[in-house]
Parts: sequence; structure tokens; C-alpha cells
Amino acid sequence: MYRAIAALLLVLAPVRAGAQGVVRGTVRDREGAPIASATVAVRGTTLAARTDPAGRFRIVLVPAGRVHLYAAAIAHAAADTVVALTGGDSTTVDFALAAEPLALPPVDVISSRVPHFGERPSTSVANVTPEDIDHRAVATIDEAIAHVSGVQMINGQTNIRGSTGYVQGLNSRVLMTVDGVPMNQGDRGGINWDLLAVDEIESVEVLKGAGSSLYGSAALGGVINLTTRDIPDGFHSTLRLTGGALGDPPHGIWRFRDNTGILGSADVSASYGNDVLGGRISGGDRHSDGYREQDQDDHLHFAAKGRWHTNNTRVDVSGAWASDRYDEPLSWCSRGECDDQGQVYQPFKVDTTELGAHTDSRKAYVTAPTRTTLSPQFAWSARGSWLRTDFTDVRRSTSEYGLSDRYGLAGQIEDRPDSTRTVVVGLEGTFSDVTSDIFGKHTQSEFAAYGQSEQRAGTVRVSGGARVDFLAVDGGSLTAVVSPRIGLSVPTDHHARDGGTLRASIGRGFRSPTMAERFVRTVALGFEVIPNPTLRPETAWSFELGHTSAPLLRTLRLDAALFWTEARDLIEPQVIQITDSTGTHVKIQLQNVVRARMAGLDASVIAAPIAGHLTTTLGYMYLSTRRQLAGDSTSGPLAFRPPHQLTLGADYTLGAAAVGADYRFASRPETIELEGFVDPRRVPMSVLDLRGSWTRGPVELRLLATNVLNYIYNMVPETLAPVRAVTVTAIWSH
Amino acid sequence: MRTILLVALVIAGCGGGLQPEPICAPSLVGLCGTLRFQGTIPDNTDDVFIAAYATFPQTCTDLIANRRPLIPGSVPYTDSVADYSVEPPPATYHWVVAVWKKQGSLTLTPADTALLRVAGYYRDPADTTQSGVVTVSNGPAPGDINFVVDFDNLRPATDFVSCTAQ
Repeated sequence: MYRAIAALLLVLAPVRAGAQGVVRGTVRDREGAPIASATVAVRGTTLAARTDPAGRFRIVLVPAGRVHLYAAAIAHAAADTVVALTGGDSTTVDFALAAEPLALPPVDVISSRVPHFGERPSTSVANVTPEDIDHRAVATIDEAIAHVSGVQMINGQTNIRGSTGYVQGLNSRVLMTVDGVPMNQGDRGGINWDLLAVDEIESVEVLKGAGSSLYGSAALGGVINLTTRDIPDGFHSTLRLTGGALGDPPHGIWRFRDNTGILGSADVSASYGNDVLGGRISGGDRHSDGYREQDQDDHLHFAAKGRWHTNNTRVDVSGAWASDRYDEPLSWCSRGECDDQGQVYQPFKVDTTELGAHTDSRKAYVTAPTRTTLSPQFAWSARGSWLRTDFTDVRRSTSEYGLSDRYGLAGQIEDRPDSTRTVVVGLEGTFSDVTSDIFGKHTQSEFAAYGQSEQRAGTVRVSGGARVDFLAVDGGSLTAVVSPRIGLSVPTDHHARDGGTLRASIGRGFRSPTMAERFVRTVALGFEVIPNPTLRPETAWSFELGHTSAPLLRTLRLDAALFWTEARDLIEPQVIQITDSTGTHVKIQLQNVVRARMAGLDASVIAAPIAGHLTTTLGYMYLSTRRQLAGDSTSGPLAFRPPHQLTLGADYTLGAAAVGADYRFASRPETIELEGFVDPRRVPMSVLDLRGSWTRGPVELRLLATNVLNYIYNMVPETLAPVRAVTVTAIWSH
Repeated sequence: MRTILLVALVIAGCGGGLQPEPICAPSLVGLCGTLRFQGTIPDNTDDVFIAAYATFPQTCTDLIANRRPLIPGSVPYTDSVADYSVEPPPATYHWVVAVWKKQGSLTLTPADTALLRVAGYYRDPADTTQSGVVTVSNGPAPGDINFVVDFDNLRPATDFVSCTAQ
């Protein structure tokens, strides 16, 4: 084994000794303001850096001679330059980027598994930029992601192009990574969006479509990668205070309390860094009375990050801990279940038999990634990670608990044998253990190897690769899943720097059953839920054909993708009858019973009709789904998949002030799960958010009004979606 | 900016969202009426619900499997009078019954009849010795399906159907 690895390293890492130097400098806009988080890379190499808040960057091990540098930043035109570098010396390069709201965002070179260096990937990637996060003044990052075209959050569960649906938090067909480290829960496979405070997150990438060829299990519908803020040089601190009020029910007959609900939060962070070392700590507290009965939420979090940087190696250690106590409004009150005021249902009230239901939850993670650049063409990286989630659900008649740990180790090497080719090879291992009174005590091991290569042939760029995952539950036999992928991107305007691109890809994704799905034993809807240890992984083939246009009339850019996913062995709850010596009993069990097709159009438009002041966006997704149960010739749509989704956004900036609006619409889902067993009431989603901000020196004020029309809707049965909330946030930065 | 905001406001204003639904609302697809309660509420009462049967059940299995809605709702029973509504699919129903449930979990099997008692049923206004017939359509709900729930006269399923196991 060791010999094989050594041989591989020798093949992939030919020593390219030669004189090297350092390139440092700044990236600013044309007015001289620094641009943070810009990407600066040396073309044809693995060398890249991201700018700090002062716009500074530093790249080491740059080969002496003529150096071709590339700089790109969100909403700015990219720039190239060539500088002369003498071995053992350093040179300074200052970029001045022109504002260009239609510029394509640079693909993240730090946490993406494949370094792209400003080139367009062969799959759809949507970005939530630092400005998007800041403008929206969100409390948790999923609130910002929900505005991405083709993405819908259904009661905390993430859908990329209709992937997940809603399954009571028992799984996710979308993988969340933090700086490239998988962070889905070890027991239920879900995503804790409040694991990281918003202030810790710099940007988000949403990779749409099956991504298992690089990311493995859970990347069946896509991957959401959170990039945490880097530690800038010097001393920095931030204080953020938020306060607000929650809307009352729009009809007096729905009133459930005499006072107006409030919410508020306080966050503080401090960091210090220099060329070698850096560290940051942060903490915060959040409270909400909730917008309905029994909906109070208290959240506390701490996070820390450290970095150590030598000439060619960087080591980061980061971690976070969060604790929540939130009430559980399990289902709204139907006739007779509360003081219903003569109503068939009371969406703001809960069944009085469920009063007191709440959840205590804690989660924490630590990751330690390291990356060493051995030569301009070769780098290796490795990481260790640990994620713990711990919950106790307290109900009137019982309480349930679960504790899960997920440990991960991974290593990856990147090579650029020549200027037209990139090769990435990696190994990954994950071990999860769960102790719970409803899931039992179990372990799951996952081992994976993957490789991907990108080759440029003229103007066409072809990428291909595969990953093989071996899964074992409780030390049992291994299940192997192979996930290949191939893609290409072709520029459609060879002369323009930021021209159009045609892209196509086909890949296989899979999702290993979570330990909750295999082993859950609980009661739902009054029926016993029984385990199914024989569950197999879900698999899916995803195809995509997309086009990003060059700017039209210098004010408009279009992106559209046709997507098609064929999924097999999808896991869904089934109502079954079991006969034993005591009689026949109705139970619920999760089974691999569904074949499904998800196909549609995902299109977006960005327009900047008043350059430098007004930016507008439009996103639309048409989703057609078909679900067929094993052994049943009838078919119908998948549950919780609205056929039409629309997002609109507008931002207007004038000096220190800015205003904006977001609108989201989703048509009424055609079907829901367990139809006939739950309240079938459902309506379209139609939500308008308004926001404004004003900045003066180190102080920024933000006003956010979400669901400003106080539109009352539900996305899952008997669960009211958030009503109007108005918050004011004050931020002081040093 | 103004155009976008206007479009958003127009679209947002189009959908009504969830609205209050009084018992016997014109939009109800189902049936509704008033229950009058009499007698002493047993200590082990868990719930009272309304069920409708398209044909009169013959067995305990019919009693459970043919019940509409299959998953029972709930009717407030602590006052002397309560309005109710129930949403079975459109059909003609020959038995609309108030069911008393004692504490315990239902399993959707004939064994459930051990937990359930018939507490009253809708009667034919022309001949109160017979059960009344109610037709549910996609149009306005038939109202005034009124009847009495008698806690002092809770009758087991076997008074109405034959059961092989309970």
C-alpha cells in the first residue's frame, strides 16, 4: 500500500526545481477601495490566494520569469497581467478591477475539490456572495440560500431542483460542506443550518445536480459549500446587535397571544493575524418568541479559528459549538384540539395535548485542514474532522434522545502536469456512531477513493472522473457504490474575456441510508415506526445541458439549464400491515420503493440597467416529477415538489444607502406524503421581503422586513410557515 | 426597481394564502352540523370524533376500513353543544356516527373496536328510528346534520356489527 502511494506520488509529483519568488500586492476597485475575497491565481499552476479585507494577497513559490497573474472578484471584471519575477525575490502587483455587476463570480479555488482558476465549471454553480449575506441581514444562512434560483427550503430541508422533498428531517439529498468538509449529521443525515453563525460565513456555493463523483454520499441532488471567513492581518473586531418584532395573525380569530412577539440577537467577534499566525473567536446569543404558539427559540454559539502559514504550508484549525432550546409546535390545532373559536383549524395554535413539547440540541465540530504546495504544479492537502450532534426531544408522553459523532479523515493531491491538464486524486474515510433510544446503538463506516481530471483541448474543456465508496454498517459486509461523472464546457464567444459558455454533464449520485432511516423505532401519526436494516443506497443519474450567455446590450446576462434526473430505490415511508399472534397491526416503515424522474428548466437573468446603482435578478424553475412505486403500474408526481418556482430580486445603491427587495413564489405542491393521514391543506408560497441599509464609517444599520405582506401559508402539513418579521441590525466593525 | 416591486406586489397580492375556515364554511367539501351532548362524560374519555360510512358496516373490519375519514379528527365534547364538520370524500353516506374513544392508541385494525363506542348517529328526520342519509358533493356542504351524543348510552360495536376478534 505504502509503495503504491509512493509510486503514485513519484509519478504525479515530478520535482520541478527552479528559482522561485513571491508575488504580493492588492486588489482594489477603480475608486481605490479594497476588494475583499478576490481570487488571485497564477495561470497554469495550483498557486492561488484570496484577498483579505484590505484587499491584500500574497502568493509564494511562484516560478521566476514571466508570471501570468489573474484576478477576479464578484461583480467586477476580471483582469490579467504579466510580471517579471526574479528567483529569490518578490514583486508587487496591484490590480484595479472595474465594477461589472454582470461578471461571473470566480469559482472558489480554496474549498472546491477541483481548482478552476476562474474558468467556468461544466455544471451549474450558484453563488451566495458576501454582499448577498450582508444585505439580507439573515439570522441563519439557509435564509440567504433560499433565494437562489432552483433551491427551496421546506421546513429546514434543502431541495436543489426538487431533490429532497420533505421527510420529517430524516435525511437530506443535499450535502453541506464547511470549507469542503462534509457536515451532514451522523445519525439523521440532515443539515444543522445554525451550526455556524452567519458572521462566520463568507460565501456559499451551490453546486446543482449529482455531485457524488467527488463528494460521495448525500450529494445526490447537489452540494452546498460554506466558506468561512479567513483571518485578516491586524486586529479586527465586530459587534452586531439585532432586535425586532414578529407579525400578529392577520385575522383576529387566529389571535393566540396578547402581546407582540419579539426577537433579538447579539454577536461579537475578534481576530488578530499576521503573515504567519492568526486567530479569531466569536460568540453570540439569539432569542425569538416565535411567530406561533409554542415556538420560542433560544440559541447560543461560540466559534474559533486559527491559522498557521509557512512558506508553502497552511494549517487551519476551526471549530464551533452551538446549543439550542426550542419549543416544538408539532402540528397546528385542528377542530377540537384546542380553543378553536369555532374554526376547522387554528394555524397559530397547537394541539393542547402537545403543549410543552420542546427540543434541547447541541452540536459542535472541529476541523483541521492543511495544504502544502510542493511546487507550482503540485500540492497536497489533508484534513481531519469531528462533528457531534446531540438532541433530546421532550414530549408529553415520552422523551427521545440521540447522540452521534462523525469522524472524518481525508487526503488529496492536485497536479498540473502541464498548462492544459489538472488531476485530482483523493482518499476519504468517515466513521459515524450513534447512541439513541429511537435509533439504537450503531456504527457506519465509509471509505472512498476518487479521481478527476480536467483537460483543455483548444477552447473546449473536458472533465471526467469517478469515485468508489465502500459502506459498512455495524462492521458488516461492505456495499460498494461507483459514481462516475463526465462534463465539458465550451466558450461560445472566443473573443470576449467574460463571454458565453455552453456546458454539459452527466453523473451518478447516491445517498447512503442514514442510521435513523435504518433503525428508527418511534411513533408517528399514532402508528409505530419500525426499523428496516436492509435499506440500500438511493442512486440517481443526473444530466444537465446549460448555457451562460455573454452580456447582452451590456446590461443583461442569461443562464439556463435543462436538467434530468433518473432516481432509483428512493426511500419513502410506507404504511404496512403486519400480522402476528396478537393480530394485524398497521405500522410505518421506510423502504426502497420509489423510482422517480425529476426534470425541468432552471433559468436565471441578472440585469444592471443603471450601472453601479441598480441590479435586478430573476430566477425561474419548472420542475416535472414522476414517481412510481415498486410493483405498482400507476404513477404520479413526487410529494412536496412545486412545479413552478420564481424568485425576483432588486438592489438599488445610492452612496452610503441601499435598498432592496426579494420575492419568492412556489406553486402549490401537487401531492404530499401520507396523503389521507394528514391535513391536506396547502397553498402556494408567495413571500415578499424588503430591506435597506446605511453605512457611515465603522457603523452599519440594516432594516429587514420579511414576508412583509404577512402572507399566511404552509409548506408541509399542519405546519405554519414564518409570518412577517421586522428587524433592525446595527453593526460596528473595527 | 419600481417595476420589479410592482410586479412582486401584484403577484404577491394574487394568492390568498390560508384563510380562516369556520365550521360549515361555504368552501367545505364534507358535512357539518351541531352535536348536543347529554349524560356524564366517562373519566377515561380520550376523544369524540365523527365518522361516515357509505354503506352500513357489516363487520368489525368494515367498521375500521370503511370509515371516512380513515384517520379520525376530534370534536370538543365538554360543552353541551358543539358545532362540527368532517371532510369525507364526495359520496352518499348512509351512516354518520359520533364515536366515543377511550384512552389508548388506535392501530387501524378491528382491535380498535375495543377502544371505541357508538355514542350517537344522525337520524332520518322523517323516521327517527332509522339512520339518515347524507350526500356529500363538491358543491356546498350539507349542513344541519345535527344529532345527539349520549355519554350514558355508549354502545359497543357488537350492537351493530359482528366481530370475530376485539
